[in-house]
Amino acid sequence: MQSSNLSGLSIEGIAKSYGATVALERVSIHLAAGQVHALLGENGAGKSTLVKILSGVVRPDTGQMLLDGQTYMPGTILDARARGVATAFQELSLPSNLTVAECLLMPTLRKGRGGLVSARRTVAAAAEILARYDLRSVAPSALISDLSLAERQRVEIVRAFHHADRVLVLDEPTAALSDVTWLFDQIRRATARGIAILYISHRLAEVRSLCPVATVLRNGRSVATVDLRQADDDEIFELMVGHSKASESVRRSRVTVGAPVLEVRGLTTPKLADVSFTIGAGEILGVSALDGQGQRSLFYALAGLEKRLAGEVLVEGRPSRPGKPGDALRDGIGLLPEERKTEGILANLSSASNIVLPILDRIGRRGFVWPALERAAALESARAVELSPRYVSFRIGDLSGGNQQKALLARTMASGARTLLLFDPTRGVDVGTKEAIYAAIQAFADRGGSVLMYSSELPEIVRLADRCLVLYGGRVFTELAGPELEERTMVAALTGYTSAPLARGAAR
Amino acid sequence: MTTQVASLPPSAASPDRLVRLVASGAVIVTILYLILYGLYALWEPSALTAYTFGSLVNNTAPLAIAAAGETLVILARGFDLSVAGVISLTNVVMASYPVDGPGGALLSLMLCMAVGGIVGAVNGYLVAVLRLQTIAATLGTMIICQGLSLVILDAPGGVVSDFVADTLTDTLFGFVPVSGLIVAAVVGAWLMLRRTDLGVALYTIGTDEAAAALSGVRVARTRFLAFVAAGMVYGIAGFMLTAQTVTGNPNSGSPFLMLTFAAVALGGTSLSGGRGGLVGSIMGAALLMLLQKVLFSGGVSSFYTGIFQGAVLVLAIVFSRALTHLLERSRA
Repeated sequence: MQSSNLSGLSIEGIAKSYGATVALERVSIHLAAGQVHALLGENGAGKSTLVKILSGVVRPDTGQMLLDGQTYMPGTILDARARGVATAFQELSLPSNLTVAECLLMPTLRKGRGGLVSARRTVAAAAEILARYDLRSVAPSALISDLSLAERQRVEIVRAFHHADRVLVLDEPTAALSDVTWLFDQIRRATARGIAILYISHRLAEVRSLCPVATVLRNGRSVATVDLRQADDDEIFELMVGHSKASESVRRSRVTVGAPVLEVRGLTTPKLADVSFTIGAGEILGVSALDGQGQRSLFYALAGLEKRLAGEVLVEGRPSRPGKPGDALRDGIGLLPEERKTEGILANLSSASNIVLPILDRIGRRGFVWPALERAAALESARAVELSPRYVSFRIGDLSGGNQQKALLARTMASGARTLLLFDPTRGVDVGTKEAIYAAIQAFADRGGSVLMYSSELPEIVRLADRCLVLYGGRVFTELAGPELEERTMVAALTGYTSAPLARGAAR
Repeated sequence: MTTQVASLPPSAASPDRLVRLVASGAVIVTILYLILYGLYALWEPSALTAYTFGSLVNNTAPLAIAAAGETLVILARGFDLSVAGVISLTNVVMASYPVDGPGGALLSLMLCMAVGGIVGAVNGYLVAVLRLQTIAATLGTMIICQGLSLVILDAPGGVVSDFVADTLTDTLFGFVPVSGLIVAAVVGAWLMLRRTDLGVALYTIGTDEAAAALSGVRVARTRFLAFVAAGMVYGIAGFMLTAQTVTGNPNSGSPFLMLTFAAVALGGTSLSGGRGGLVGSIMGAALLMLLQKVLFSGGVSSFYTGIFQGAVLVLAIVFSRALTHLLERSRA
């Protein structure tokens, strides 16, 4: 596509693994000077690892990069900057105790008399940078912690522009921006100066208006580089999901859905607006969303970990207003949290102790819990999730991630909850364990339990869920069921597209 | 007075910054100090004499300087227990190898700072390069230093040069204690450090290490240098302690361990890093020592000192919390 391979940045066969987890398998992209190149891919496709490699935060295991024909392999952020490569990170990287001016100039501030940092000169230099990128509305002497999220994002972007003489990486730069005109103007000016830009965004409309070409990343591989003027949305979604996967997934056969177990009406939190749905006995309701669309808030509000601003939750007709997870358990709602290591396991205790934690008062005799009682109760729960009995007495911290997850699922089920809230239950576990977890979830539903399940993996939702809510910006964007519940429709809905007439009411 | 935020002095004081300044530990602890000193003067009229003030400053200097050093490490989100070890070690080194005269005093001071700097470099290597937990690593070096002190001087004793003992506890022009000047020099060095890239980096890694790294701050180097600088400052504290006590004692540093952290906390520095300043810690140390003196002059048994010091620490923190809360609410 590009006449000269020397100008711009060539990424050739980059791979990176963290232990046994392969983050990038083989990625090749050519960023031409003066062009905006889009990078598309699902969550977990490897986008953030690629960004880190380009920025000098991590080094690839194999592969090479050429910047204007010369080897480029930065070891630190400063190395990358020295070569004219800079990144505006998605998880904004501005230390909150600094001023805007300090952030823009770190790690070397302007000096005054005696070689000491001069606040005046630092602010003046920063004001000049802000003016160069038309961001005069932000005071250079303001503290980062006093800025709004949108302002912080703009400062992050300006800083990247300021350091990017050759290559600029923008990772979800519009996540917190409601108005994108300013950003697009800056991008056009930068490309006019011959800067190559890698643009990562899940908003396809935005990508189309900016980028002539896009590279699609799937499972750590760059699967295709497409001319966006010729490819339609369906083709792109298909590339992101993969043909084979889309056709392979099998829907579970449906048992009849019983009486409503969990009814949520107008649930609102700081990150969630007016979410309503109902789950019946024996039903699995999927939740699908891109990162940070309020899904965590939904689960935490239901489990009593987050405050609700408005709305009503009924469990089998009785209102549930948990102030802490223990209250939610009493109401019959059990949460499987997202972060296994920090919110789930107690690493130093045995698996058995971990599993029986919520039911200690039930298995004890006269208030004393004997190891044998604990073990017996744990073994029974372990069977439901196919956790091998020999692991039950092991320290849970020594088990594999998959077995830890099984133990946590066993704990959540053992609590006697009739409604399970499963937040990404197969995150980071191997294929075999996934099957066991799927089976356990299905069995739970078949016994009449109801399940609310968020997953970052679409095939999982397609396979397990009876219906699926798609969250976008803290609202229910649409609800998919029946034949609509398939990956391509979901990818489109996730990114704010819908083929069906828009957002129907979410309640059944 | 340094403010709580790392940012450079604002061109125009906004209400936000005023609130932060008033609620900062340094201001609160200074007010508490003045109140207590007023009570002390009512109780004991001699409190207002230059002699009493001078001896109070002399008593305070070692702890104040030790707390100042500790603050450097705590700001970068770490704990440094080796403070007690370095003070013991430098104390016995000075008592075992006294050098007389002004040149000798300077040589001793350099030696103390070098010893502290080496211990700090070991701490820094363990923490910043090998990434050990700061408490574990510095607990190890503290115990090593205590052991070394016993090897150098196995029982209290030794000789301290007359020049060190006399000059450093003296008063200039009848009212300026020399030890106070040393503390002022430490503060001066700090005010300069705050206005270097290293000083700004120190606060930044204490606040958000990941963001600091992504902003181009060399995290390991900054943390290493914080430990080295802290070690050198502990060396000065050991030097000053020796001048006060005029003797060597292999356990002389032990009482400093808890009081150093108390002084830092009292001075409003967040023990989780990123917020606070060295001046607050020095005032915190001064308050703890003044309290000791007031209780003593009031005839309270020294057995009760700890109870009062602890209570003041807790009350000051609660008070500062409440004040911040009130000020923020009144603006909202």
